[in-house]
Amino acid sequence: MTDKILKVKNGDVAGSVNEFLKELLKSGKVHALLVMQEVPSKKISFPVLISDPGQLNANVFAPVLPVSTASIVSKITKFQAAEKLVGVVMHPCQIRALVELVKLNQASLENIVIIGVDCLGTFPLNIYTDFPEKKIPTQFILDAFKNKSKEAEKYLRSACLVCKDPVPVNADIVLGLYGADIGKEVFVEVCTDAGKKLLDGIKLDSKDVKGRENAVKVVREDKANKRDEFVKKKSSLKGIKVLSEFFDKCVNCHNCMKACPICYCKECLFDSSVFDAEAYKFLRKAESKGLFKMPNDSILFHLGRMNHMILSCVECGLCEQACPSDILLMDVFIPAAESAQKEFDYHPGKDPEEKIPMVVYQEDEYVEVGEA
Amino acid sequence: MVEEKKESKKNEFEPKIVGFLCNWCSYAGADLAGTSRIQYPPNVRIIRVMCSGSVDSVYILRALLEGADGVFVGGCHPGDCHYLDGNYKARRRMVLLRDILDTLGLEQERVWIRWISASEGQQFAETMREMTEAIRKLGPTPITKQWNI
Ligand code: SF4
Ligand code: SF4
Ligand code: FES
Repeated sequence: MTDKILKVKNGDVAGSVNEFLKELLKSGKVHALLVMQEVPSKKISFPVLISDPGQLNANVFAPVLPVSTASIVSKITKFQAAEKLVGVVMHPCQIRALVELVKLNQASLENIVIIGVDCLGTFPLNIYTDFPEKKIPTQFILDAFKNKSKEAEKYLRSACLVCKDPVPVNADIVLGLYGADIGKEVFVEVCTDAGKKLLDGIKLDSKDVKGRENAVKVVREDKANKRDEFVKKKSSLKGIKVLSEFFDKCVNCHNCMKACPICYCKECLFDSSVFDAEAYKFLRKAESKGLFKMPNDSILFHLGRMNHMILSCVECGLCEQACPSDILLMDVFIPAAESAQKEFDYHPGKDPEEKIPMVVYQEDEYVEVGEA
Repeated sequence: MVEEKKESKKNEFEPKIVGFLCNWCSYAGADLAGTSRIQYPPNVRIIRVMCSGSVDSVYILRALLEGADGVFVGGCHPGDCHYLDGNYKARRRMVLLRDILDTLGLEQERVWIRWISASEGQQFAETMREMTEAIRKLGPTPITKQWNI
């Protein structure tokens, strides 16, 4: 599959990829890029939509995902598809989320060319901004990768530790790290015709790359094993008592829902007045129960949200990252996603043609459900 | 004697069941049961909805979390939905909801979906008797005791 490589100059992977992206902009191959770039304070990288190659200082390997880039592509393309070609540089989990958003009619891929990046994992925001090591986070994680060291693992977000797939699927081109000697090269995989067109006339080296396929297989297996273990370990987090304790620090801010790429509703049911009630109903409930915790409907929010989006959950962990109470949401959401998606044999983000289970049905399925 | 009888009645667990019935079939079926004076247990509190497909699982969860011992969803027979495919979608949703119930630790048997037509008053009464007894066997929902949810 891999046919091209990008030569790394002076051992500077991030800089060399930046030059490559600059070339895409300069040559007019893309009109704009959505890409991670360091903010002026240098504290963190955020997605920018950039059309001026002179100002491009992309940091595509920054181990941080402050917001969902899939949600940003949705924001840009929801009301009107892009008229000119836009390149979007994305993590694998965000490409999965984008595919789901397209299925949900919340984004358009017209004139969007997806540049996927192999993901080495990301750190929580505050670890990234106040990084305890001597190196900056990007250098640290790239060096750890180069030296085949596991020292970056202790900083990874739990979602990344058990990532469903750190290699992009459904991208037009992929900037590949796994299997590459990143002191010298980055793989450039061409996956679609749009990707081929994008690279047409862009100077890249061709090389017969052998290590890629196997390296990808190894990392996928490793992550799958870790995820299996995680699911096994956490699947005991069930039952009303355990669940209520799990969420007992929840302050009902709904940040988890706002950070989630799949929760796209403009007004969430749980932010609406649907569950508002007259004073007598609250008092009547207090009388019949003796007491209850306020604000109420906290578990209802979490299970209701889960019920609405779990089939499309791409396990990006942005919900957990957004929680001000440090509730480890992935502990509940990954096992729930695993079991619900298995039930419908559904794979979010995998195949753009695969229909979301709740919008299709077969007449002769689950007949036992409506029978005594 | 009379006093004693009252006491034992009071102690017996009476399941609270919330029933979402589709306007075109199950609700009419319940109506028929009523007008035909067919006896069925008063444990079900009926909410009329336009279609079984309009019952978002969140409303079922809400009923359960507010202390319902069981939830019943009644729709038209497969193929007979007034809106063509509402009940097929409701059925899929029920499959997903069962997964969520598992996370919540509630028995799947607390939520029923059944197809009852407008002419099946007898069927409706029968189903209500069945469900009431099934829930009675399961016992009261553990949710009532949980005040921190
Ligand atoms: S629920 Fe959490 S892990 Fe799943 S897609 Fe939403 S933000 Fe990502
Ligand atoms: S972000 Fe955390 S505190 Fe806020 S609603 Fe979600 S779980 Fe609760
Ligand atoms: S109208 Fe009765 S199930 Fe749809």
